[in-house]
Amino acid sequence: MRRSIRVVGIGISVMLGVLAVAAGYHQAVAGDRYRNDLRNPRAIAAVEDRGRILTTDGRVAAVSVDDDGRVGRRYPAAERYAHPVGHATLLFGDTAIEARRADDLRSPPPDSLASLIRRLLGDDLTPHDIVITIDDTVQQTAAAGLGDQRGAVVALDAATGEIVAWVSTPAYDPNRLTGPAAGPAGEELASRTDLPLVDRVRQAVYPPGSTFKVLVAAAALDAGLSPDSPLDDLAEYRAPGTERPITNFRDGPCEDGSTITLSDALVVSCNTAFAALGVELGGERISTASQDAGFGERVPFELATEIGFVPDADALDADLPALAQSSIGGRDVRVTPLQMALVAAAVANGGEAPRPVIVDRVIDRDEIVDETQPIFWRRMFTAPTAAALREMMIAVVERGTGSTARTDGVVIGGKTGTAEVPDAAPHTWFIAFAEHGERRLALAVLVENGGALGDEGTGGRVAAPIARSVIEAWMRSGS
Amino acid sequence: MTPRPGTARRVPSRRSEPILLAAAAVLAAGGALLVDLAADAPSIEPLVTLVVFAAAFFGLRVAVRRWAFDAAAPLLGPAAVLTALGWVEVYRIDADLGRLQRWWLLAAAVIAAAALRLLDVAGVQVLRRYRFLFFAGALALLLLPLLPSSWPIRGATVNGARLWVRIDVGGASLSFQPGEAAKLLVVVFLAAFLADRRQALTVATRHLGPFRLPEPRQLVPIAIAFGVALGVLVYQRDLGASLLLLVVFAGMLYMATGRKTYPIATLGFVGLGAVAAPRLFSHVQVRVDAWLRPWADASGGGYQVTQALFALGSGGLTGSGIGGGDPGVVPAAATDYVFVAIGEEMGLIGSLLVIGLFGLLVAAGFGIALRAADTFRSLLAAGLTLALGAQAIIIVAGVLRVLPVTGITLPFMSYGGSALLANFVAIAMLMRISHEERS
Repeated sequence: MRRSIRVVGIGISVMLGVLAVAAGYHQAVAGDRYRNDLRNPRAIAAVEDRGRILTTDGRVAAVSVDDDGRVGRRYPAAERYAHPVGHATLLFGDTAIEARRADDLRSPPPDSLASLIRRLLGDDLTPHDIVITIDDTVQQTAAAGLGDQRGAVVALDAATGEIVAWVSTPAYDPNRLTGPAAGPAGEELASRTDLPLVDRVRQAVYPPGSTFKVLVAAAALDAGLSPDSPLDDLAEYRAPGTERPITNFRDGPCEDGSTITLSDALVVSCNTAFAALGVELGGERISTASQDAGFGERVPFELATEIGFVPDADALDADLPALAQSSIGGRDVRVTPLQMALVAAAVANGGEAPRPVIVDRVIDRDEIVDETQPIFWRRMFTAPTAAALREMMIAVVERGTGSTARTDGVVIGGKTGTAEVPDAAPHTWFIAFAEHGERRLALAVLVENGGALGDEGTGGRVAAPIARSVIEAWMRSGS
Repeated sequence: MTPRPGTARRVPSRRSEPILLAAAAVLAAGGALLVDLAADAPSIEPLVTLVVFAAAFFGLRVAVRRWAFDAAAPLLGPAAVLTALGWVEVYRIDADLGRLQRWWLLAAAVIAAAALRLLDVAGVQVLRRYRFLFFAGALALLLLPLLPSSWPIRGATVNGARLWVRIDVGGASLSFQPGEAAKLLVVVFLAAFLADRRQALTVATRHLGPFRLPEPRQLVPIAIAFGVALGVLVYQRDLGASLLLLVVFAGMLYMATGRKTYPIATLGFVGLGAVAAPRLFSHVQVRVDAWLRPWADASGGGYQVTQALFALGSGGLTGSGIGGGDPGVVPAAATDYVFVAIGEEMGLIGSLLVIGLFGLLVAAGFGIALRAADTFRSLLAAGLTLALGAQAIIIVAGVLRVLPVTGITLPFMSYGGSALLANFVAIAMLMRISHEERS
């Protein structure tokens, strides 16, 4: 009998062991899946009971609504804030501000011990609202300007870094990712070849094309040249060690074939002059100018940004054809549109680039809980260099390739770019600043593959008009 | 079985008992405090809880020291901690139930102490004498819920199972589940009956294929008793109790005789039942479907199973903290599914603690059975322990989706007065058997 009692005892113990394993499986292994299941009411409360996200002019970009007792996240502006605001979903997690500011937007579970302690310490646990720096009227204009072209527009206050518009196209409607058909919608968005989920302002890098000439010009100014210094006006330029010539946009020299000033070379975006200038300056100076502008570094920002790329000095010097091509923004140079907008901001701001800011303040009803203070990021140019670049860029818009951005009542400086893409239409760029009273706006517009114009597209024809409409909207907005 | 020399007064193995009892009382009171604070409604409940739990546990300890002073097995401590853990979740889910359960705990301690006193006067052996009375009592208790609803003492159906008895006292009505007490009586009856006929049941006289069977007339009474009890439970649609009865019956037969034929035959019986029952009873079919395919009908038949998994998963390793979870979402969270509430708010750590404490209880119980003074006491201890352990396993395996859910309470932890009374009386009996080891 003792033996059989032992056997039963062991049997019970084994069963208890099996239960311990099962508990471990359900709680530790499968735990995440259960936690985030749509049918788990805890998951819904955790994701969707959040405060609102408002634009600086009071437009609601994201809000939680109580729909028959079921709290749900809604995005009233649909696609317009898909990238800067992002989405908070059960199936696909959180992105952008919805992810970064989840803790600010959410109140902890009201009946938890942590909440209790915070309440005793005087914290208010109602969900907070977030006010972003984007102005909805400018945002609408930027989105309309891009239309159904693929590209990016980012505009920010040149002094404070406050983002005024932030559009990436194609966008997506975040509401599709929260509803009952979220699963198939998410899969469809993720599988699309035009990448609607990618924020082209910060998550994609492009060859900057001729907009990079601003940095080469800065390197030349730092090396002692002036805007009036003469450069060779060549029809084609062969870097040492290559037979493949660099030519200008229109065949032939940029002016009369003798010399062209540094300023005029920028105004007409003269490839041969800048390629030769880059090789003459050498890899060290080009590389230093790029590093000063923060290329190769992550832009310090609320949302993670892709790092651009510029070859280092030794690599450039070792391969002069590459140096020549890099000097006109081709070859291996890669940047995000946000990075180029900050270059424009530094030119307009005496050489200093601000840290970009998108969250203006966290509020509890009308009371400010947290307010973002503008912070200086880095000095990209010396003050004299910035002043010279400013004059040169204003000339680009007044009488050069950027004249399509010109509009009345505002001083605009800019630089176009048309970056070659192998086997496809070129990417078209326009970076600019606008001075209106005390206010200064900096922006970058990128349209992939020439936009609606395709192979006919240039920075001046495709990107600059979008910049003009954004600047006009900004002038009207007063923000 | 003769007592082994030199094993007297192994009280040192219970040395941690007062610490565990105090810890259990503080745990319950602390839990009540957290629940109150989280709800932002401070009350005197934590203080009342501390006093009531301490009084119940230490009162019971005094009774043990008086009437079972030689008891060596560490039973009271784990039982007290389990009771406290379960109570915190019951109070957190429904404060009114928690307050009621507190009085039930006090009553359970008093009844268990009374049982110890009774056994001190008469000895455990006395139970053997009245075995058929116990069985008749068990049957009567099982039949009570079938009393017509118009009588002052009447049956009541809760959640599709007619397991309850209501008694009207003045304007108030008191409900209880007589099945819990019947469980104890059945174990006592089986222990006594099997102790009598152990030899006869062990000697095989007939062969049936690979099985060797005893004289049929030796088996007939117990088979009839078992059949009647099972019939009543099945009629009442009490799946959990039916399964528990099967396990206890087969387990005790096996422990008494050492013949594997009995558990194997029972397994075969369960197997047949498992195949036939879903066709015969729609409510069994629903349970089996919910077990095999809970996600197919997560808002219908599989709701309870899937919500339990959500709660457990949301608890993760460390849990949401007491008051931080949402255990009330799961149906029957304070009764059958209290393990899920623990898992959600105290995490995997809490779940494993509960399983481990049941392991300690079971180990101590079988230890008593192995050292008991005679066959009857040994079988009684083993049977009581088996019943406790099997009941815990049946419900925890159900909520963890190891087995289909067959509703039954989790001993010491679920809300329910009758269960708490019966389980503490079982502990008292085990302590007394441990005490009588030397006699």
